[in-house]
Amino acid sequence: MMEQKILELMKSVFQTDGIDETCSQQNCEKWDSMNHLNLIVELEMEFGVSFEPEEIAEMRSYGDVVRIVKSKMS
Amino acid sequence: MIMFVFRNNTIERFFPQDYEFSGYDDVSFIPKDADGYIWFYQAPIKFDNGLLAEEVNAYLQKFRFVMDRVDPNKTFIAFMMDLIYTVPLFNGDFRVKEAVVQYNAGLLEAASIHSNIKVVDITEFTRQYPAKELMDWKFYFLSQMGLNPRMANDFKAWFAKKLDQIALKRKKCVVLDLDNTLWGGVLGEDGIDGIKIGGDYPGKAFLYFQEALLELSKNGVILTVCSKNNEQDVLEAWEKNPFIVLKKEHFAACRINWQDKANNIKELAEELNIGLDSFVFVDDNPTERELVKQLLPMVSAPDFPVQPYELPEFFKRLVEDYFMVYAITDEDTKKTEQYKANALRSESQKQFADFEAFLKSLEIRLTIEAANEFNIPRIAQMTQKTNQFNLTTKRYTDADIKTMLAEHWKVYCVSVNDKFGDSGITGCILVNGDEIDSCLLSCRVLGKGIEMAFIKRILQVLKADGNKKIKAKYIPTVKNAQVKEFYERCGFDCVSETEFGEKEYFADLEKMDLNIKDYYKIDLK
Repeated sequence: MMEQKILELMKSVFQTDGIDETCSQQNCEKWDSMNHLNLIVELEMEFGVSFEPEEIAEMRSYGDVVRIVKSKMS
Repeated sequence: MIMFVFRNNTIERFFPQDYEFSGYDDVSFIPKDADGYIWFYQAPIKFDNGLLAEEVNAYLQKFRFVMDRVDPNKTFIAFMMDLIYTVPLFNGDFRVKEAVVQYNAGLLEAASIHSNIKVVDITEFTRQYPAKELMDWKFYFLSQMGLNPRMANDFKAWFAKKLDQIALKRKKCVVLDLDNTLWGGVLGEDGIDGIKIGGDYPGKAFLYFQEALLELSKNGVILTVCSKNNEQDVLEAWEKNPFIVLKKEHFAACRINWQDKANNIKELAEELNIGLDSFVFVDDNPTERELVKQLLPMVSAPDFPVQPYELPEFFKRLVEDYFMVYAITDEDTKKTEQYKANALRSESQKQFADFEAFLKSLEIRLTIEAANEFNIPRIAQMTQKTNQFNLTTKRYTDADIKTMLAEHWKVYCVSVNDKFGDSGITGCILVNGDEIDSCLLSCRVLGKGIEMAFIKRILQVLKADGNKKIKAKYIPTVKNAQVKEFYERCGFDCVSETEFGEKEYFADLEKMDLNIKDYYKIDLK
């Protein structure tokens, strides 16, 4: 459920449907620094959390995002 | 419209995705191909207040530098500055505040000289939030965002409204209920003296609402009434209750009866010759609003406050959502008068069996003027708002019109008066070379043959200028079917018609009958 929502947010921020669980800053050209912050803001608003700058820097792939959002929610 | 934004902070999130942005605090590059420009500088974060004040002053110099270099025919929107974070270290240190005041005054001064510059007051937006929420320092340090990124969607919605206001888009008419909307209580039950208007609360709240609406009507919004009441009771209340501000003469038309309101509003639209999508329906009864929303979805029907003390806020929202424009034209301020004069004309029309005799009796005078600084805003406004008598429905801003004039287009507008009143500037024709680009007339002057007199006079001018042939076009929309055959009636030859009904015309000025009926007096300036 949460994973699904994260994928949806990534699709809407990056404005492309071609996003799956393998997405990372390495392989997705839409994931630039500006969209990274846009994604962070959307995640914070959606899940009602606030990420620390260190966590924001760590989110380099879909997997990282899911892991850090989960750790914030628990 | 692709706008180019000059900025000194990260604000991409706050503007439409296709906008383009300068470098931070960079005015060295001014793209020529942008449709328009935006100036959005925020006070920088600095703790030396003297330096900070100087930097704000320097921003104004930069603004002027850019202003002198952008195309004066393109819209240039300048945001005022709001001081979001400042730490004066002693009481009475107003250096930064003063610098910001001067900066904003500088923008306004520029706007008063250059009509393409439009100043937007950002505090209209920021003051909706507590000061602390305006910044999110985490995002400031991560990417120099000068505003809290969570406010981006609200900001975009607010800015879109500002753009509409600058483009002069607004609704034309408000339909008002009476009982528990313009006064407290029910006239039929409480009586003329029993309804609550004026005096103490809640009468005072309704009085304020009426006074506010009166100002709105003075600024070009048409007021009408749609109420379930006995008409005689209402007329008596208007006449006898001294506290009622909005009386019969303030309304361009009324429907006071027991029919359903959707039908009444449709009739009002026909009587006033205004499209239904230009109506806002104000009624305290949620069932009536729902009925109107269901049957007439193009009519706006905002929620009405439950408590009378909420009326001032409601009025503010009503204006901001539907009726705000960047500037009011002269024609706006006379509008209710004109619509009422129209009603009088229809009355007198009934007495003449012969339509020509009726037209003769009107003493119609057309004043045709070439576009100039004073009428350009009105011409632009007409291209934005006219839907029915509009051959090509092309929308232009005043900046666009100025560009046309620079490119030697011929742009004419017409004002019409007759013995019942002055309609002001109510039509225009835009000619690009040998082609009529736009031809439009406000609905309130139709039905008097003015369109024919106007276009023939313009064709005479074009002929005198040496044109032998003139091209024209009809582009169909959902609203302009009434002019489908207009050019045929004028004597143009239709040379092609697409499957979508778009038609191209040709007029041979040598052969065409350009005579105008002698009961139209025409002045050409």
